[in-house]
Amino acid sequence: MRPATASTSNALTFTSLRLPSLETLAAWLLALIWIFPLLYAFWAAFHPPAFMVTFDLTAPLTLSNIIDAWTQAPFARYYLNTFALVTGVVLAQFVVCTLAGFAFARFPIPGKNLLFMLVLIQLFVFPEVLIVENYRIASELGLIDTLTGVGLPYVASAFGIFLLRQTFKTIPRELEDAARIEGCGWMAILWKVYVPLAKPTYLAYGLVSISHHWNNFLWPLVVTNSVESRPLTVGLGVFSAPETGVNWATVSAATLLSIAPLLVAFLLFQRQFVQSFLRSGIR
Amino acid sequence: MASITLSNVRKSYGTTHVIHGIDLTVHDGEFVVIVGPSGCGKSTLLRLVAGLEEITEGTVEIGGRVVNHLEPKDRDIAMVFQNYALYPHMSVRQNMAYGLKMRKMSKADIEKRVNWAAGVLQLSDLLDRRPGQLSGGQRQRVAMGRAMVRSPAAFLFDEPLSNLDAKLRVQMRLEIKRLQQELRTTSLYVTHDQVEAMTMADRLVVMNAGVAEQVGTPMEIYERPRTVFVAGFIGSPNMNFLPARLRGGMLELGQGLLVECPNAPAGTDGRDVTLGIRPEHLVVAKQGEPADIQFVVHMVEPLGAETLVHGRFNSVETNVALRLHGTPNVWRDAHLPLRLPPDALHLFDPASGVRLTE
Repeated sequence: MRPATASTSNALTFTSLRLPSLETLAAWLLALIWIFPLLYAFWAAFHPPAFMVTFDLTAPLTLSNIIDAWTQAPFARYYLNTFALVTGVVLAQFVVCTLAGFAFARFPIPGKNLLFMLVLIQLFVFPEVLIVENYRIASELGLIDTLTGVGLPYVASAFGIFLLRQTFKTIPRELEDAARIEGCGWMAILWKVYVPLAKPTYLAYGLVSISHHWNNFLWPLVVTNSVESRPLTVGLGVFSAPETGVNWATVSAATLLSIAPLLVAFLLFQRQFVQSFLRSGIR
Repeated sequence: MASITLSNVRKSYGTTHVIHGIDLTVHDGEFVVIVGPSGCGKSTLLRLVAGLEEITEGTVEIGGRVVNHLEPKDRDIAMVFQNYALYPHMSVRQNMAYGLKMRKMSKADIEKRVNWAAGVLQLSDLLDRRPGQLSGGQRQRVAMGRAMVRSPAAFLFDEPLSNLDAKLRVQMRLEIKRLQQELRTTSLYVTHDQVEAMTMADRLVVMNAGVAEQVGTPMEIYERPRTVFVAGFIGSPNMNFLPARLRGGMLELGQGLLVECPNAPAGTDGRDVTLGIRPEHLVVAKQGEPADIQFVVHMVEPLGAETLVHGRFNSVETNVALRLHGTPNVWRDAHLPLRLPPDALHLFDPASGVRLTE
């Protein structure tokens, strides 16, 4: 921690001189390093292959790379797959995590805390560790090379259960009592009282989950074999495999195609995205 | 319209007994207040009646029907909670209509009832607001409205005024009482505030440690508290308690200080007792009047309309409070000659705390 404190004191003297502090400089540097690949992808995607490494501002713009990428691989199908996968996973997660979170938050189940600990342990296990076991189960269920097979391992998300349980716990019990007196059963209480009041949590969790599953690569790569089930990430991976010869312009164009929806969503929901990541990190 | 009858109601959580057998009848249209210190089980008792907790033993009847195993919604009751328990994501109108909607009432009827309640409670202009946009008093009224629209057999109130500031509390207290008198709905009201209890109740239940210490009208309880606990809980400032001994129709307080006590019950001569006397019943003897006891002033608290005087009886080591009208000229270390009116003396058994005087 010592360098940080040193830079803080530097920052104080620097700001008095109206110069950017070290933190600001470092933040800019990091941001540039982070965004550089994206900037390069944009450059490569919209310029002819001849300008891949010559950064000439007068270089002509072109859409031919995008068109090439789109025609060379079934991106429309990949889009559909990813879209169906993400929607399905997030919806299934909402259902499962809501029910489990509600049970953990409110029902008097014997051994509830122990069970909840077991669920939380899931957070400490890297999904990659489970690939072989998951593959075995998926194959027993006959789910290899299906979208269900891609999504199923993520449905019972410990993170979602945890997040919703915490939110449900903060909702005053009197609301539940009032609803019971007015004639609600358990499902109605959950649906009319708990779920509407947990809306911000659903938004936060939904954003985190959507971005995660949109970007997920390894498990879909393992479990899918065909165009019919391949999501965008895997499609892109197959597309840019070195054995087919790397054309950076087309690869960049394809990459942009895959991340475009998420990028647009991020720009639209920028604030909610950052907040939700922060919140879910803190909790 | 219905009465509520509790017979030997008990509640335990595992081996912890919270309610130790309560018998109580709330008559049709009556307003009964359960009062007691926090943790005495009064809210639990209300939740047992509401059906939010399961009864361990005994029966609860509402309108002549045993409801022990009925769900809260089937008990035909409405409850008002301390924190109002309004649904934050619904408007005032939706909040009030929700219970009716759950009962599948027609839209027109719901509309009529909500408008009626809103009119009575002066909420008509606020129907489209969310609870978050209302003041505490308004939220309290919405909670009342939600209970009213259902026209239930009984209202249950769980400390509904505790979250309001002092001024609003007095106002809402009157409003709830007025409403109840208009609607004549059987009501069970829980509070820890004895002023609220005294002013609102037709009858009062004083609870302590899971037991109903006394049931009666507020004045009965004030005038003839059955136990030391009730005597100390009802009335402000608290009743003064002094150790004493009965001797030949006299009360001996401390060393040789004797006070006449004509209403001592028979067969108690020579017994140790606890003497209880309310601060407002101690009278300063007028000039020329014989005094029963001398009082040494330690502290004076003028309140305007009345003055609280703290001090001790001569030669007795217990603090005593007096409550005098107006702002009499009393100062620290002054000696006041006091009279103890015989009918203001309450005698209790020192061991059991039970009342000895008639």
